[in-house]
Amino acid sequence: MTRLIRAGELIVFLAAMLAPACSPAQELRPRSILVLDQSDLRGPFYYEVFSGLRGVVTTDTREHTTLYAENLDLSRFEGPAYEEGLQRYLKEKYRDRQIGVIVTVGAAALELVLRRRAELWPGIPIVFALVDELDHARLKLPPDVTGGIVKLALADAIAAARAVVPDLTTIVFVGDSWDRQVVFRNWHDEISTAANGLNVVEIVGLTMAETRKKVAELPEGSVIIYSAMYSDGEGTFYPPATALALIAQEANRPIVVGAETFLAPGGIGGFVLVPDSIGADAARLALRILDGEAPANIAPAMGGVKPIFNWGQMQRWQVSESSLPAGSEIRFREPGLWEKYRWQSLTAFSILLLQTGLIAILLYERKRRHDAEIESRHRMSELAHVNRSATAGELSSSIAHELNQPLGAILTNTETAELILSGPSPDLGEVREILADIRRDDLRANEVIRRLRSFMKRTTFETRDIDLNQLVREAFEFLSMQASDRNVSLYLRTSPEVLRVKGDPVQLQQVMINLIVNSMDAMAAIPYGRTVIGRTETNGGKSAVISIADSGPGIPEDKLDEVFDPFFTTKEQGMGIGLSIARTIILAHEGRIWVENDAEGGAEFHVSLPLSAA
Amino acid sequence: MHGIVHVVDDDTSFRTAIERRLRKAGYQVLTYPSAQQLLDRLPGGNEPGCILLDVWIPGLSGPELQERLGQLGSTLPIVFLTGHADIQTTVKTIKAGAEDFLTKPVSSEHLLNAVERALSHHEVVLSRRHQMDTARSQIAKLTPRERQVFDLIVRGKINKQIAHELGTTERTVKAHRQQVMEKARVQSLAELVSIAERLGLLADDRG
Repeated sequence: MTRLIRAGELIVFLAAMLAPACSPAQELRPRSILVLDQSDLRGPFYYEVFSGLRGVVTTDTREHTTLYAENLDLSRFEGPAYEEGLQRYLKEKYRDRQIGVIVTVGAAALELVLRRRAELWPGIPIVFALVDELDHARLKLPPDVTGGIVKLALADAIAAARAVVPDLTTIVFVGDSWDRQVVFRNWHDEISTAANGLNVVEIVGLTMAETRKKVAELPEGSVIIYSAMYSDGEGTFYPPATALALIAQEANRPIVVGAETFLAPGGIGGFVLVPDSIGADAARLALRILDGEAPANIAPAMGGVKPIFNWGQMQRWQVSESSLPAGSEIRFREPGLWEKYRWQSLTAFSILLLQTGLIAILLYERKRRHDAEIESRHRMSELAHVNRSATAGELSSSIAHELNQPLGAILTNTETAELILSGPSPDLGEVREILADIRRDDLRANEVIRRLRSFMKRTTFETRDIDLNQLVREAFEFLSMQASDRNVSLYLRTSPEVLRVKGDPVQLQQVMINLIVNSMDAMAAIPYGRTVIGRTETNGGKSAVISIADSGPGIPEDKLDEVFDPFFTTKEQGMGIGLSIARTIILAHEGRIWVENDAEGGAEFHVSLPLSAA
Repeated sequence: MHGIVHVVDDDTSFRTAIERRLRKAGYQVLTYPSAQQLLDRLPGGNEPGCILLDVWIPGLSGPELQERLGQLGSTLPIVFLTGHADIQTTVKTIKAGAEDFLTKPVSSEHLLNAVERALSHHEVVLSRRHQMDTARSQIAKLTPRERQVFDLIVRGKINKQIAHELGTTERTVKAHRQQVMEKARVQSLAELVSIAERLGLLADDRG
C-alpha cells in the first residue's frame, strides 16, 4: 500500500517537473487552483463562497482539478509583518506545487495577491471574487486578472427597506465602524446621495451591548440596514451572521441585510450577496482559464447579488409578497400543511375521498336495500292479506256457524223473555237469568267478530311481544269448528314455559292457520282417524319450535323441498301460496320452517322462531 | 199440543235458550250435548215427539245421527237447526226424511211452527200405527179357517167361489165371513179390504 502511494507521488512529481518542458508555450496550464480567501472561514458567508466554488470544480468531470485553499484571515490580522509572514509561509508551502490559476475571495485578498504575486506566483493568472465595483475601479487591474464584480449599492438597500416599510422615514445603519467594513464600506460614501430625504441614524462602531440596547428603541417608520459586525467591541470576535442574530433578538424594527447568510439569523432580506453563486462564478472563470482561454479575453462580470427575502420576517412585519422588488426570491417559506405533507395529504385525501365515496355508495345501497325490504314487506303483507281473505272465504261456513250460535241463542232468549214479561205475573228471576245469558252470548259473538277482524286486518308489518302458546291456542280455537265439520280431531299441547317472541301477531297467526288448514286438507282423502296434533316447545332457551303433525299420507320424499315453493300445490282448488306465504312470514321473523315425514306416515311441519331476550 | 222435544246441540248456551223457550210453549224438553247421548237414551215412540238437531256437532254429526235413527226404525221427526245452511247438507237431510231445516238464529214463531208440525206429524204417524197394531192384533185372532176366508174375501172372491175353493158349503163360508167381520170390527167389506191393504196382506199376489 505504502509503496503504491509512494509510486503515485513519484509519478505526480515527475509529471509536474516535466510539464513545463513538454509545453513551453505555457498555454497548457497545470490543472490546479489555489483559492486565497480573505476570511477565516468561520462564518457561513465565506464558507458558502468556497463550497459554491468547490461544487463547480468537483462536478467538472472532464478532467481532475486539484484545489488548494488558504484562509488569510485579513479581517482580523493585517499589517506588513503579517503579510511578510504569510508570504514566507505560502512560498514555502507551495514551492513544489504547480498552480494553474489563483482565485481570490474578497478585495483584501486580491490586493494582497497583486502585491505579492511577482514573488510567489509570477505570471499565474488571477480570478477574483467578491470585489465590489468601487474597489475594482480603484485597483486598476492588470490584463491577466479577471473575475466577478459585486455591486451592493446603498440605493438598493434603501429600495428594499421601502418595500418592507412603505412609509419609510428613517434608516438605521448598524454594524462595525465603516473603515472596518470589508464589503459594505461603499454604503457610507453613498449615504448622502441615496438616503436623500430620509433620517439617517448610525449605530456604528459601538459595543454589542450598546447596539442591542439601541436597536430595541427605534421609532416607527424606521428600518435597520445591517452592514456587518465582527466583534462585540470588547475583545470577542465573531462572524457577522452570529452578531446579527444577537442584534435581531433585540431589534424592534425590520433589518435589511446585504448577504444571503444574514437571512437566517434574522434579516428580513434585501439585495443580498449570494455567496454560493459568487464562488461558483469564480470557479467557472478559473476553469475556463485552465482550459486555455486567455484571461485578458475575459472581461470582469457583474453578478452575485439578488433580491432575497425571509418569509418568517415578512410575516412578522406583515410584508406582502407583492410589494417586494421584481424578481425577489423568498426563503424559509413556512410551508403550509399542503406543501409540507403534499404526498401524505394527497394520499390521505384520496383515501378520504375513496372512503367517502364508498360510504356514499354503501349508504345508497343501504337505502335501496331498506326501500326494497319495505317494498318486499309491503308486498308480503298484501299477499298475506290475500291469502288470509282466501282462508277466511274457505272458513266462512265455520265462521258463520260460530257467529250464529250465540246470535241464535240471543234471539231465542230475547223472545222467551218477552213472552215471560207479557204474562200476568212475570218471573223476574228467570228474566234476569235470561238477560245474563244474552249478555254472555253477545260478548261471545263480539269475540268471534273481533278475531275475524284482526285476522282480516290489512296491516303493515309490525312487531310486538307475543305469547306464542296463546297465539297457537287461538289458531286452534279458530279452526275448531272447521275441524269438526271436516271430521278432524285437533289436539294441542303447549309447552309449560311461556314462549315469548317478537313479531307480527296477525301474520304468525296466519302461519299457524295455514299449516293447520294444510294438514286438514292433506287428510281429506283418508276415511277416518283424521288428526292434527300441535305442539310447542323450547329449543335450548334460544328458540321456540311449533310442530303441526297430521295423520295424512305424508309428503313424497322428492317433494319435501318443494312444498314451500310458490304455486306448488297438490290440491285442485289451492293456489299454492299458503305454505309459501308461511315461509315468507317466518323468514321475515328470522325464523325457520321445515317439514318432515313421521314414522307413522303423516307430515310434520316445524316452525322455529327466536325467543325474545326478556 | 203436547209432546216431547229432544234437543241435540253441543252449544250449551243455545241448548238452554231453546229448552227455556220450548218449555214456555208447554212442551216437555230433553236435551243432549251430543248425538251419541241421544242414541244411548233412545226415546220410546209411544208419545208424540220430535228431535231438534244441530247439523254440526262434534263426534257424530247431525246427518249421521239421522241415518242411524232411520236404521233403528225411529219414527221421531227431525227438525234440523244449523248456523250455516249449505245446499248440499240441506238436500241430503230433506231427502233422508227430515221434517224441516231451520237456520240459526231462528225466530220463536218459526221454531214453534216447525215443532208443532213435527209433533202433529208424529201424532198422525203414531195413531196410524196404533190403528195398524189394533188391526193386526184383531186379524191375529182369526182361526186358520177364518184367515183363509179373510184372505179370499179381501181379494174379491164371492162366497160361492170361496166355498168351492175351500171345499165347503156356501153356508159355512157365510158363517166364517160373519166371524171375520166381527173379529175385525168392521161393518163393510170395503173396510176389511182397507185393513188388509194397510197391513200389506194383499201384496203377495200383486206382482
